[in-house]
Amino acid sequence: MDMNKPVQNGGYGRLPANAPLANPYVPFQMEDPPKYEPRTAIVRGTLFPGLDLPFMNMVNKKELPVTPLTELQTMGFVLHELALYLDTHRDDKEAFEVFRTLQNLYTKGREKYEKECGPLTHRSPMEGRYTWLDDPWPWEYAGNPEV
Amino acid sequence: MFIYDKKLQYPVKIANPNPRLASVIISQYGGPDGELGASLRYLSQRYSMPYDELKGLLTDIGTEELGHLEMVGAIVHQLTRNLKDSQIQDSAFAPYFVDRTTGVYPTAASGFPWSAASMAVKGDPFADLTEDLAAEQKARVTYDNILRLSDDPDVNNVIKFLREREIVHFQRFGEALQLLREKQNQKNVYAINPSFDK
Repeated sequence: MDMNKPVQNGGYGRLPANAPLANPYVPFQMEDPPKYEPRTAIVRGTLFPGLDLPFMNMVNKKELPVTPLTELQTMGFVLHELALYLDTHRDDKEAFEVFRTLQNLYTKGREKYEKECGPLTHRSPMEGRYTWLDDPWPWEYAGNPEV
Repeated sequence: MFIYDKKLQYPVKIANPNPRLASVIISQYGGPDGELGASLRYLSQRYSMPYDELKGLLTDIGTEELGHLEMVGAIVHQLTRNLKDSQIQDSAFAPYFVDRTTGVYPTAASGFPWSAASMAVKGDPFADLTEDLAAEQKARVTYDNILRLSDDPDVNNVIKFLREREIVHFQRFGEALQLLREKQNQKNVYAINPSFDK
C-alpha cells in the first residue's frame, strides 16, 4: 500500500453534508479502516495507517524484540486502540469481531505471561510465596527488554 | 476503580543516562500540557458527560494517559540513573537536582510545579471536548519539541509513540463532538447545556 495516498490508506474521513455553523469538525474515520499488523502498529503508535502522521518523517521502523512482555504489550495495545475506535464506532460489526478475537488472545497471553514472568495484579495466581513484590518493576531499566 | 497492571503500555529502556534531556522531558510529567494534567482533565470531565459514548471515551483515554504518565516517569527515572556529581554540576539538570535529587516530581521544565490551572472542567460537553482537542494538539507540539531537542533513539522511539497517541486521541475527541452534536437540536446546538439542562 502506498502510504502517500490518503484515500487508499484510510487518511480521509466523512464530514456531514449539512453542518451547523460555529462548530468544530473532525472528519469521522470510515468504518473498517485499513490496519497495520500488530507488531507494526505498536511501534507506530497507532493501528491505523490513516492516522499515522509522524513529525518530520521521523518514523520508528524498528520492531520490538519478541519477548513474553512485548507480545503482551502488543496485544494489549491493539486491544486498547480498537476499544477507542469502538467508543465512537459502536456499530462497526467487523471491528467488534476483531476486538472479540483479540480479547481471547489477550486473556490467553496474560495467563502465559504470568506463568513465565510473575503476577500482573494482586488477582494473579501466586505459587508458594508473595511474588507480587519481585523486582524489576515496570519503570526500571531491568524491567524492559532491549529495543 | 483502578487496578495496577505491572507493565508499561510500551517498553522504556534507555541505555545512556542524560540529565539535560531529563530536565526537558519532565514537562510531560507535570508541565502545562503533560500527561498528569491530561489524565486528570479527562477523568474529571467524565462526571458531567451526558451520553454513554462520551463517558466511555473519557474514561478510556483518561486511563491511557495515566499509563503515559508512568512511561514519562520511567524515561526521566532512567535518564537520571547512576549519575555522578560531575555529570550534574554543569548540566541544565542542576536546578532540578538541588530540589528533588533524582526523584520524579510533577513539574514543568520551567520549574513551575504542576498546577490544576493548566487544565479545565467546564461542565458543558461542547466546551470540554473542544478543550480536549486543543489539549491534544498542545501535547503533540510538546513532543515535537522534545524530538527537536533529543537525538537518543532509545528516548525518541518512546516519544514518537506518545506523540502519535495524541493524534489518535484528537481524532476520537473530534468524533465524540460529532456524536454529541447529532443528539442536539439541529437548528441551534447551543440551545441548552446537555450536561445540566435535562
